[in-house]
Amino acid sequence: MICERVREQIPECLAGRLDAAARERLIAHLETCPACRAEVADLNAVWRGLGSFPEPEPNPAMRTRFLEVLEAYQAGRASALTGQAEGRPNRRWHWRPAWQAAFSLAVLIVGVSLGRYLAEPRGASPEVAQLQGQVDSLRQLVTLSLLQEQSPSSRLRGVTYSYQMAQPDAQVEQALLYAVNHDSNVNVRLSAVDALEKYAANPEIRRALADAVPVQDSPLVQIALIDLLVQLHDKQAAPALRRLAQDAQADVEVRQHAVWAIQRMEVSR
Amino acid sequence: MLDVRAGDVGKLELLFDRHHRALFHYFLHLTSNRAVSEDLVQEVFLRILKYRHTYQPETGFRAWLFQVGRNVHTDHAGRHKAEVAMPEQAWEVRSTDAPPDRQAQSRQEAVLLRRALAGMPREKREVLIMSRFLDLKYEEIASVLECEVGAVKVRVYRALRELSDRFFALCGERAS
Repeated sequence: MICERVREQIPECLAGRLDAAARERLIAHLETCPACRAEVADLNAVWRGLGSFPEPEPNPAMRTRFLEVLEAYQAGRASALTGQAEGRPNRRWHWRPAWQAAFSLAVLIVGVSLGRYLAEPRGASPEVAQLQGQVDSLRQLVTLSLLQEQSPSSRLRGVTYSYQMAQPDAQVEQALLYAVNHDSNVNVRLSAVDALEKYAANPEIRRALADAVPVQDSPLVQIALIDLLVQLHDKQAAPALRRLAQDAQADVEVRQHAVWAIQRMEVSR
Repeated sequence: MLDVRAGDVGKLELLFDRHHRALFHYFLHLTSNRAVSEDLVQEVFLRILKYRHTYQPETGFRAWLFQVGRNVHTDHAGRHKAEVAMPEQAWEVRSTDAPPDRQAQSRQEAVLLRRALAGMPREKREVLIMSRFLDLKYEEIASVLECEVGAVKVRVYRALRELSDRFFALCGERAS
């Protein structure tokens, strides 16, 4: 038992990390235990052998590549943040800064990657696919980052920016859903409802939108959610809307809107 | 890192300069592939940028960095299960002033040791890499592996013991 406990200290001893008292105890044990002395000799040979492995320097291009991405991220974020003043979003407001941010980001990445591609002309199509992936990955990064900002205006821009994702993205989808249900600012919630339209092909998102209607504390957001469900012809939301229409605690306008929505869904049946 | 978390993402350049070599060596020891290791370093810093709000200063930056690195490597290994890492010729052994025959022997031993290390299960290999090459304290390794310091002590010893067994077994094969 004592040998086992002593042996567990050998790597620390070889690394020079064992405190003086523990080291003294280890040495005292080794003087009386040939098996542990042999163990130290074996492990020491391997430990020193590992120390002979070289530590090659990474390619300096790795740093350059990282700084390019960091710069692109900062440019995209700054562009999105300096777009317009805070306020109730409208469609024109939505699109302009987003296009600017996405465009500048894309131009930067395309420029950097094209430069590299021209400098090293080899296979073409994987590079193009990788380029598209990088653009989308950066857009996702900017969107998620903005959605986590303290300021509601930044979060609004995050929602706006999500429109620029070429492909629906699961993390952005969840972040938008979280914003609908938990954001403290009504404008952010309203914008997130609009942005989730793009993700409505996913039945789970439609169900989450329907579930969000009764728990919202803002009648404006409730109405926006109902409008979206009608627009999506989501008939599975009808029972929830009926319950809402009969809920005496709910806002009168919301209840009327729920009745209207049920009628619209029945007409389109 | 606290500045980065607060939104001053430009400071990430400093963190990159300070830590990318250690991270690169961590991946290089795990994958034996320079290009892959460089890509994984890039991925780690992108994840730090993306998840900077989750950083908790109590963890310590180095421990958090290697937690992220570990996750990145796990994802990579999951995507490339079929690929077998082969030790690269480019980094066999440090040159010394020893006589040529001794140098040749050292080179041979280093190749066998590298082969022995590459053959170990990932969990044992990485605990050795962290303690031997990255100079992480046991407290930091415990934080990365989410276990007790006492458990790290035992794991490092067992991993070194296994490496030793594998190495001497390879030396025996070579001698016979």
